[in-house]
Amino acid sequence: MQIVLEIIAAIALLAGSFLVVVSAIGLIRLPDVFCRMHAAGKAGTLGITFMLLGTMVIFIETDRSVFFRGCLAVFFQFLTTPGATHLLARAAYIRDYPLSDRTAVDELKTFLPSMPDEIIGGQD
Amino acid sequence: MTISPWFEVVCNVCLAAMFASAAMCLYRIVIGPNAADRAIAFDLLSIAFIGIICLLCVVWGTSWYFDAVWILTLVGFIGSAAIARYLEKGKVF
Repeated sequence: MQIVLEIIAAIALLAGSFLVVVSAIGLIRLPDVFCRMHAAGKAGTLGITFMLLGTMVIFIETDRSVFFRGCLAVFFQFLTTPGATHLLARAAYIRDYPLSDRTAVDELKTFLPSMPDEIIGGQD
Repeated sequence: MTISPWFEVVCNVCLAAMFASAAMCLYRIVIGPNAADRAIAFDLLSIAFIGIICLLCVVWGTSWYFDAVWILTLVGFIGSAAIARYLEKGKVF
């Protein structure tokens, strides 16, 4: 029984760490801040979900409370990380951070005008 | 519980991958052109730390440190939200 649990957990942990490494490589190589948000917000969330699933599978026979704590961690992760990424993307667009050279169309410009001059503090 | 030797090798490989991704996040924090890049890299760095805590719980066979996982999730969200509000409005509160 333990060998089956370890095989499932090994697959989940390897998949999760692979996704986090892909997300970090995207954080290094992508051209502007919105592309980097795309890499860090999606692949990182899925990778850490896989790693938490692997840990829950390992501890499911010996310590049952890890299952509930892991479910709580997955719930909070899905609740917080996309929200934080969305807030940061809106703030970066309002502060008029530069887009990449390969950006074809900027549809948000008519709805959300950038206003870097009206802000009192907030220098980066 | 004790884990098999091959599964410990798998856990060490995953730990090496997580440390490599944490090093890449630190590189982006150092060279990041503006503040939002650094905030995003900090978000992914907290995710890498959560993965490291999970793997160390598995390797050491204990669940004492597993509470740090969801606490670190909430603390990371508060930090990112505060940085975003500071960039957008010029003040936090």
